Amino acid sequence: MKHSFLDKYSNLNSPVHRLDPRVKTITALCLIVIIVSEARGEIFPFLFYIPLVAIIAGVSRIPWSYIIKRCLIVSPFILLAALFYPLSQMLTQGYHSLGAYSHEFMVGLSVILKAYSALILLILLTSTEKFHNILLGLRKLKMPKLIGVISALMYRYVFLIHDEILRTNLARESRCPGSLKMSRFKVYGNQAAMIFVRSLERSHILYSSMLSRGFNGEFPSMRKFSLKGTDLLIPGAIILMVLTIRLTSQNIHNYLFN
Amino acid sequence: MHPSLKTDRNKGIGNIFEIVYIYIFIYIIFMHISDGIIDTNVCIAAGAVSIGLVYISGRKATVDEIPTMGMMGAALFVASLIHFPLAGTSMHLGLFGIAGIILGKRSFPPVFAALLFQSLIFQHGGLVTLGVNSLNMGAGAFAGWLIWRTKFMNENIRALLAGFLGIIIPVLLMSVEFRLSGYGRGIIYLLSVYVIAAVVESIITLGAVRFIRRVKPALLP
Repeated sequence: MKHSFLDKYSNLNSPVHRLDPRVKTITALCLIVIIVSEARGEIFPFLFYIPLVAIIAGVSRIPWSYIIKRCLIVSPFILLAALFYPLSQMLTQGYHSLGAYSHEFMVGLSVILKAYSALILLILLTSTEKFHNILLGLRKLKMPKLIGVISALMYRYVFLIHDEILRTNLARESRCPGSLKMSRFKVYGNQAAMIFVRSLERSHILYSSMLSRGFNGEFPSMRKFSLKGTDLLIPGAIILMVLTIRLTSQNIHNYLFN
Repeated sequence: MHPSLKTDRNKGIGNIFEIVYIYIFIYIIFMHISDGIIDTNVCIAAGAVSIGLVYISGRKATVDEIPTMGMMGAALFVASLIHFPLAGTSMHLGLFGIAGIILGKRSFPPVFAALLFQSLIFQHGGLVTLGVNSLNMGAGAFAGWLIWRTKFMNENIRALLAGFLGIIIPVLLMSVEFRLSGYGRGIIYLLSVYVIAAVVESIITLGAVRFIRRVKPALLP
């Protein structure tokens, strides 16, 4: 089954692609935490963060069209959350001229900048590595064993469910051909429930066969993770740089503008 | 905000503008809180609670329960891809009520794993807010389980209530988190708006429970 929609550009060759998945995950998480922990209404530090994120995206060779498309999907969530902040203050404090709410709009703008920076970093993390390698990396990073096993099984079961959807679609089409109609709600409802029940049965059979072959919660992988000094050097430097910006941006701002 | 404006409070709750924007906001933003939207301290606190609940919920899970947990997580993930139109926008199935009914106290780990997948694959929700989102939705599934195990009501009513609470509890928690992050009081409208979605979800939960009772009753505790 072809399922490249999960990690479409993971086969490209770039310095970001070559990084160890564990390093990539930790770097992305650190950068996101540092960026989103910026104080509300802070805009100045993003003059450094956004070019940095753009440089990482450029180095990764992931097409900008793809990144923008992924951002657009999530944009309504972000833009409305940002817009909601000043609007909720207006409702609480009464309607006045927009200038009276300049701080609230700056908070909204900072929400947008934070959210898009974090979003692009997340897109880069998942686009530059095979998804199962990210999961494997998370397991190597001592993610709780139960979550690790459930995630690994889920990844396989998603395709199992997809298989069942294709099968039951074929069966439904052969019995009642035609386009989707709301009047057939019961048919679709039964199909959805049948997909779940059949997938669940198959998952139990698969899991029993895994256990009978000695499965002990570990998923053996051909991929050997090896960390080199250079793997840590550049991500470490980037984290340090972002942390320095985070801690000193207020002083730089005061120095430049006051 | 200028201090003089703080005394001029507008308590016009029934304002059309207010209702329209809140409806649009709630329908679109619901459930998947992205990184950077709510306060980092709230994320950290909710993340800590969430990790604790995942640990408690998954502790001493038996070998037989693991494939069901994995499959339920996969089903939650796939269900989130099925969108249907509602009041001019689209929303997707939650299935937290049915997850609570089938998995009982083991609901938290699959919900956490499903949200990790949604966050990594589709960027629905963020990494820092993973704990917040898991707490909200895991609590919905947990409420579904609590209702389901109260045996003094008819099974159909319990299924309806489990589906209903599976949506309402996450909304309630989310409104608290937004308020703690400095958002205005308009967020309390979440409850009134999401009653429609909760009713849809409760009907779906009832249908699923009746189907499972007919086809594979061993799944229902």
